[in-house]
Amino acid sequence: MREAILWFLTAVECFFILYMVGYASFLFLSVTVGTSDLYAARRRNLLRNELSNDYYVPVSVIVPAHNEGVTIEATIQSLLALDYKLYEIIVVDDGSTDDTVQVLREAFRMQPISRPIQRRIPCRPEVAIYETRAWKVPITLVAKENGGKADALNMGVNVSNYPYFLCLDADSVLQQDSLEKIVRPVLEDERVVAVGGTVRPCNGATIEQGRVVRYRMPGKLLAAMQVLEYDRSFLASRILFDRFNGNIIISGAFGLFRKSAVVDVGGYDPTTMGEDMELVVKLHVFCRENGRPYRIRYVPDAVCWTQVPERLRDLCRQRRRWHIGLFQSMSKYRSILANPKYGAISMVSYFYFLIYELFSPYIEMLGLFATAVAFAVQLINVPFMIAFFAIYVVYTALLSLTAFLARVHTVDLRVSFGDLCKAVGLCVVEVSCLRFVLAWVRMTALIGYRKKKHTWGRIERQKIAFK
Amino acid sequence: MVSQILIYGYGLVCLSMLVYNLVYSLYLRADTLRLERRVRSIDRRVAVQLDALRAGREVSRRHLDAMARRLRRVRNLLAFDRYLDTQAAREPAFQAYLRRLQPVLLYLATVYRRREVTRSAYFCHFLARHQLQRHMQMDQIQQVLLTYLDRDNLYCRVNALKALCAFGSADTVVQALERLEKGGAQLHEKVVTETLLSYTGDRAALMDRVWKRLERFSAAMQRALLDYIRFCSGAYQREMLDILRDEGRDKELRLTAIRYVGRYPYGPAREPLLGLVEDGNPLRWEFAAIAASALAGYGGEAVTAALAEAMHSPNWYVRYNAAASLEARGLAYEDLLAIAGGDRYAQEMLTYRLESRRLTAEREAVAV
Repeated sequence: MREAILWFLTAVECFFILYMVGYASFLFLSVTVGTSDLYAARRRNLLRNELSNDYYVPVSVIVPAHNEGVTIEATIQSLLALDYKLYEIIVVDDGSTDDTVQVLREAFRMQPISRPIQRRIPCRPEVAIYETRAWKVPITLVAKENGGKADALNMGVNVSNYPYFLCLDADSVLQQDSLEKIVRPVLEDERVVAVGGTVRPCNGATIEQGRVVRYRMPGKLLAAMQVLEYDRSFLASRILFDRFNGNIIISGAFGLFRKSAVVDVGGYDPTTMGEDMELVVKLHVFCRENGRPYRIRYVPDAVCWTQVPERLRDLCRQRRRWHIGLFQSMSKYRSILANPKYGAISMVSYFYFLIYELFSPYIEMLGLFATAVAFAVQLINVPFMIAFFAIYVVYTALLSLTAFLARVHTVDLRVSFGDLCKAVGLCVVEVSCLRFVLAWVRMTALIGYRKKKHTWGRIERQKIAFK
Repeated sequence: MVSQILIYGYGLVCLSMLVYNLVYSLYLRADTLRLERRVRSIDRRVAVQLDALRAGREVSRRHLDAMARRLRRVRNLLAFDRYLDTQAAREPAFQAYLRRLQPVLLYLATVYRRREVTRSAYFCHFLARHQLQRHMQMDQIQQVLLTYLDRDNLYCRVNALKALCAFGSADTVVQALERLEKGGAQLHEKVVTETLLSYTGDRAALMDRVWKRLERFSAAMQRALLDYIRFCSGAYQREMLDILRDEGRDKELRLTAIRYVGRYPYGPAREPLLGLVEDGNPLRWEFAAIAASALAGYGGEAVTAALAEAMHSPNWYVRYNAAASLEARGLAYEDLLAIAGGDRYAQEMLTYRLESRRLTAEREAVAV
């Protein structure tokens, strides 16, 4: 028995050495590449190596909403404050049971209209359509039967008038220059079919007319830890993956797509929870299978501010949804794995998401289980274990802090000394505590997920400080 | 042991990155202060020369040499850029100073041509932005700028084209476009069109040169050039009609020609447009849709009848554009409903157009 345990522990040890070296190397590489890219971009901007705002690609901004009465007005106000000139706003209300439609109708003086819709992508039928021309750009509100976020986005695509569309979560606000920046890759390279921007938590930030006038770390610790987590994750993989056209996820909160490409692949899949990732992977597969030249880009300086959950229960719900979405997309397109046709997407991106995102909670829990077994049979060197854990915490915390500072410096935000101290402390807590809580949530996410297929994640909203 | 080395190695590198971030942050702050100092220094130096000019003396040779030497550094060029923003450009002495600076800029153009490409791009941006060229004999600098178009960098190419549009001759701008094509640069059509729209010289001359050499360009560039002409002038109706009729031409180019005769109605184009709208081939729906839109500016019963017929097209876009054109003709609600007949799709589309008209009218009423 003891020998079997020994064999098991040795196998786990070998696996974990490989796993941790792989993870550390990836994090190190991606944060290094990400940081240097951000500084290079800053230098390019200083020397005006950019396409200035004289060029306007027409964009339809689609905002799917479900019970967003608290935040929707600020979101639309932020859209009206954009520097961009050629765009329209389409809000798709997916059968809200709150006053989302009423808030919009009153705030923006919207009137009912009989608008025929060309259904290029299947979606649930509309109940009513409202429009207004009283603002800088046309605003359309489509109230439809409940069908989920993907279905609402498909309706938005059908209603849109322009060749590119931008999806934006109803609890998010855009910086005044974000649309201009996210469109640039399209002007730079006509093969671009999708562009992802950066999502940052707006809890704690004050935004006036699309400009961040005051930035503080959020008062609630949970939200503050997510600031560090978002910065690390956006810096960690997306810039690196962008180097080889390997991004397989564009956040549903903020992404630009070429409409014709999305229509060609059949739009968003309403049967998955991770419709954002599913669409991007589907675009990769479609373009590769059909020999279409394409690029999927990531723009770090196009920023969308979103509200992150401030309660643990909401955060757990959100992460459960994300993990189910990840599982659905990864399993649906499993043919990518180790398929040379997909090049680096297969060998790097898909592999990374499979091992370090989808399987990571199970692997981490296996590690904890092995530690417990080793402890039980007195085969563990406790001081070494503590030292190893401390190194892991310090290492990941340093990377989080590096990502946070790189983000702050390169977008000209100023943080106070107090906030810096808060960030230092919280990055340790995030790595050593929150991460394990979320690992447990993700590990249990797949239990009974089929029952919740078409539901919207419900998170308690706060009013966004947009003036 | 190996794992320990790995762990500590990675830890050390992470720490270095953190320190780098902090140091870089301090450097950025210091750099901002340095830039402000440079701006003040340039201000002092130029002020002396402006005083000399006001007193009827010349700008000193030494000053020009010093400027040539200093502005070789991109940080000083940035400071000069900021300094120029602060000056009253119309002041006679300042204008005279800029004229004296011409040889320095020509020299700098040859220097920055060989610099790292982001700096070359910035130099072009600088020239385009301040339009210092107005005060210059520009032939030589135009020729130098043409060589910037050979650099393998989008921003450098676009900024060089912008600079040439800011002060170049029509011939040089067309040469630049040819050079871009020859070099395999694939600029987005919108970028080419919008940059040409910033041309400050004689637009008629530029369009004339462009038209004469149109066939030398690729279809994508031709589309961008036709769009430029469409936004600038209605004097090319006959030529556009020829393109519209030429079935051997690129599809998008013909669509651009249709848009042109829609923007600038041209009698002889009526029949070809009607033919396109009435063409029931579903594979050619784009021609029908754009032609339906173009016919908005054409009068006559035949046009109304063709648009009414287009309202029954199975293609959504053809119906949409035909409804917009019919609505633009100011027909009464009853007439439009009569056109729709019992066709539900046609009725929906016309109703939508009428309601849109109401919303627009309300907006205009509020604005008044």
